Amino acid sequence: MEKQFTIKNPQGIHARPAGAIMKSASEFKDTQISLEFNGRKVSAKSITGVLTLGMKSGDTVNVIAEGEQAAAAIEAVGAVLESVLD
Amino acid sequence: MFGFGKKKKTISVIAPMTGKAVPLDQVPDPAFSQKIIGDGIAIEPNEGLLIAPFDGHVVHLIDTLHSLVLGHESGLEILVHIGVNTVSLQGKPFKTYVKTGDKVKKGDKLIEFDMDMIKAEGLPVITPIIVANGDVVSNLKVHEGAVTAGTGVLMEVTVK
Repeated sequence: MEKQFTIKNPQGIHARPAGAIMKSASEFKDTQISLEFNGRKVSAKSITGVLTLGMKSGDTVNVIAEGEQAAAAIEAVGAVLESVLD
Repeated sequence: MFGFGKKKKTISVIAPMTGKAVPLDQVPDPAFSQKIIGDGIAIEPNEGLLIAPFDGHVVHLIDTLHSLVLGHESGLEILVHIGVNTVSLQGKPFKTYVKTGDKVKKGDKLIEFDMDMIKAEGLPVITPIIVANGDVVSNLKVHEGAVTAGTGVLMEVTVK
């Protein structure tokens, strides 16, 4: 299951928003959640993985999840991706 | 990582800055003080220089130059975030000596930063130094107090 989201944070995904993404993804313990951007795919549960994507405001990222709570996980992580955390 | 006979390994993270090592709860940013990003320690620096705390490589240097992730061959990853809210400075107070992918030796210069410029913007210079991939860590010991860059153990991290 996958869905696209657009980064809205003017500063892009720096440490704090990356931490928020990781925290949100980690709440879904039995669900594998990945972010795919610019030809690279990383675990949404890894702060390093999320940071290394270097996502900027306006970028579109694909959220991919597998497991029982995949749909809920995609919406939760997507909401953080689209939120503005300074 | 490969095959049998692997033993737990403890990595000494040497102080990468000169100043005072304090608990993470002293960092005025909940992402760090509540350990959302990871566990570790913070340094209140009194010199604007960050050096490598172990032999390893630069996993990621953020393009606003205020933060980087360093990798150790054990798989341990350490995130260093110079100051709080310093992303807003768009790299201005920072001069980097490395880029993403570079190999580094313990003690190598990584980033110089202008503490006066950061403080003039009303931002703290306190620098969290945290484990970015806590899932590989079985034990973490931190050492608070006065630290000098390049000498003394700031954290001892045992990896699984």
